[in-house]
Amino acid sequence: MTAADPAAVAALQHALAAENSAIYGYGVAGAHLTGTRRAAAVKSWVGHQNARDALTAMLAARGAQPVAAAVVYQLPFGVHSAAAAVALVTLLEDRLSAAYLGLAGLADPALRAYGARAVRAAALRAAAWRGSTLAFPGLDVPPPRASGPASQGSGSPASSRPAHGKPTPSHPG
Amino acid sequence: MARDTTRRRVLIAAAAALPLAAAGCKGIAALGTPPKAAPDVTVATDAIAVETQLIAGYGAVLAANPGLAGTLRPLLAQHHEHLARLRGRLIVPARGQPLPTPRATPRHTAPVPGTPAAALGYLRDAEDAASGALLAHLATAPPSLAQLLASISASEATHALILGTAARHS
Repeated sequence: MTAADPAAVAALQHALAAENSAIYGYGVAGAHLTGTRRAAAVKSWVGHQNARDALTAMLAARGAQPVAAAVVYQLPFGVHSAAAAVALVTLLEDRLSAAYLGLAGLADPALRAYGARAVRAAALRAAAWRGSTLAFPGLDVPPPRASGPASQGSGSPASSRPAHGKPTPSHPG
Repeated sequence: MARDTTRRRVLIAAAAALPLAAAGCKGIAALGTPPKAAPDVTVATDAIAVETQLIAGYGAVLAANPGLAGTLRPLLAQHHEHLARLRGRLIVPARGQPLPTPRATPRHTAPVPGTPAAALGYLRDAEDAASGALLAHLATAPPSLAQLLASISASEATHALILGTAARHS
C-alpha cells in the first residue's frame, strides 16, 4: 500500500470521532424512547458501531492509530424526554453528514464514493427522525436545539458550550 | 473559503480555456470556434440541468395536483436552493458569451400521472434518479464541488424518502 494521504487519515479520524459520539448519544437517547422509535434507535446504534469498525479498519490499513472513544461525552443539551432524545440523534446524524462530507472531498475516488454514500445514509436517518429534509446535508448544519424550532425555551445547551458546540469528550483519549 | 478558491479557479480555468484567438495566434478562423468549457464548468452545468429538470417535474405535478402543494412546496424550495448554489459556481463570461449548454436539455415530454399517489411516486423516482445522476462526476469534480454534489445528492435521497412516505399515506 502506498504512503497514507494525511488528508485522508485526518478525514477518517474525524468521521470516526463523529461515529464514537453518535454511539454514545444513541445510547443516551435510546433510554428515553419506546416502541418503533426505540427499535429505530437500536438499529442505528448497531449501524454506527459497524461504521466505527469499518473506519477503524480503514485507518489501521493506513498505518494510523484510530482515535479512541471517550468514556463520557458532554451533551449539547439536557436529554430528559423523548423529544430531546429525538433532537439529539437528529443532531448527531447531521454532524455525521458533515464529517463524512470531508471524505467526499478527498483525492481518492474510492474514499469520495464511500463518503458520499455515508452522507446519504446519515441524511436519510436525520430526515426520518426530523420528518423533514435539509437542502444541504453536511454543508449547512442546523444549530443544536433541545427539541423542535417551536420550543426554544427548554433545554438550553450546556453552559460551557458555544452555540455551534458538538458533543465533546469529557475525557479525551 | 473553499468555495471562493473554487470560484477563482473556475474563473481562471474559463479564462485559460479561451483560445489565444484574442491574441491572433490562430488566425481569424479561431474566432468562430467557441471555447471548450473547463471540466468543473461542465460538471456544474450538468448538475444544473438535473435540477432544472426536477423543478420542471415538480411544476407539472403541482399544476395537475394542486392539493399536493403542502408536501411538495418545501421540497421544491430546496431544489431552487440547489440550483442557486450550483449557478453560483459559474462565472458568467464577459461580452455576452453564452454559458456551455447542458448535455441533457431539460425537457418534460412524459405525461405526469394524474392521481396524487402516482404523482408522488413519479417524483420519488425522479428524485432517486437525480440523486444518482449527480454522483456521476463525483470522481472528477474539484473537491469542494464534489462535496456540494454529494450534499445535494443526499438531499434528493431524503426527498425521495419523504415522497415515498407521502405516497403510501395518500
